Amino acid sequence: MQTSLRSLPLLSIPAAGALLLLAGCSTPATYVETGSSQLVVNVGQINIQDFNQAADVMVASLIDNFINAGQCKSSVAGEPALMAISKIVNNTSKQIDTDLLVKKIRIALNRTGRIQTTTTMGLGGAEDPLAADQQKAQEFFEDKKHVRLPDYTLSGKIIEERAKSGSIRQSTYSFQLSLTSRSGVAVWEDAKEITKQGSSSTVGF
Amino acid sequence: MKKNLLFLAGAACGTALLLGGCANSMNTIEPAGTVAQRQMLTDKRLITDTGLHRHVQPIGINTATGPGGFLKVQVEVQNTTGSRHSFNYRVEWFDENGMIINSPMAVATSRTIEGGETLAITATAPTDRAKDFRIKFIEAK
Repeated sequence: MQTSLRSLPLLSIPAAGALLLLAGCSTPATYVETGSSQLVVNVGQINIQDFNQAADVMVASLIDNFINAGQCKSSVAGEPALMAISKIVNNTSKQIDTDLLVKKIRIALNRTGRIQTTTTMGLGGAEDPLAADQQKAQEFFEDKKHVRLPDYTLSGKIIEERAKSGSIRQSTYSFQLSLTSRSGVAVWEDAKEITKQGSSSTVGF
Repeated sequence: MKKNLLFLAGAACGTALLLGGCANSMNTIEPAGTVAQRQMLTDKRLITDTGLHRHVQPIGINTATGPGGFLKVQVEVQNTTGSRHSFNYRVEWFDENGMIINSPMAVATSRTIEGGETLAITATAPTDRAKDFRIKFIEAK
């Protein structure tokens, strides 16, 4: 008993050393820029930088092939074309908020000054119910229709494809979007695939 | 002695095979006289990472403006080494007053370039107000 008590301080030295080592190894939380290349990369899920990159490619394609090509037509002269958001299907194994993709596209399109998005009309109800009610009230009091029908609707799908070889896992996420005109024609379409490979999560692209 | 020689020869063959297998250099072919008329720009460069510059060396910038008035930029970069390299780039846009245009799309984009490859990086301005641009290259982690 006496021997074991005497050995206690000796035992506590390696324990303290291990604790110090562990504390030294841990990474303190820091802020990183969301648009930077210092973000955590997971193979099995869509990271924020994947949504950003997909949105970036889609907006560039929309501007390049549709807006800059002079194909974007507004039904009201002198005003930007009006777009409504239709169904964005999530066909991945994870639950995701598709606004992580769509909202960025909407903001970028709005800033082009050529396309605006309606918030009073959409699949499953208005995005802004108060604005929709206000519009209805205005129509009632003025006895006049104010609703402007969208010139275009945006729909799409996010698909996941997985593969594995030994300890290496691979995930491909396909972002597919279509812009449909009032006549039901897909006037613009594009797809962007993002493939990630690895055996564990990492930081950086 | 004979055993040692055989071992050395085997090691040399192995190294040669390994190096041959690791090479990611690229061969290309294109018309000697191109039809397209490029509007090349004179550029200004700030090189702080010479290693990255060897792997991603800008060789020319050309621009075009579409009917919609949006500026489109293409930067050709070349990997002057014989090995594959990953890098990130980011494009910043400026208006006619030189003020930066903030866009939700200003994110780093990752690309991979093979050894000896020439790659075209394209970017379209987020608005027709964009008149100038700056492209930043950074090593991938």
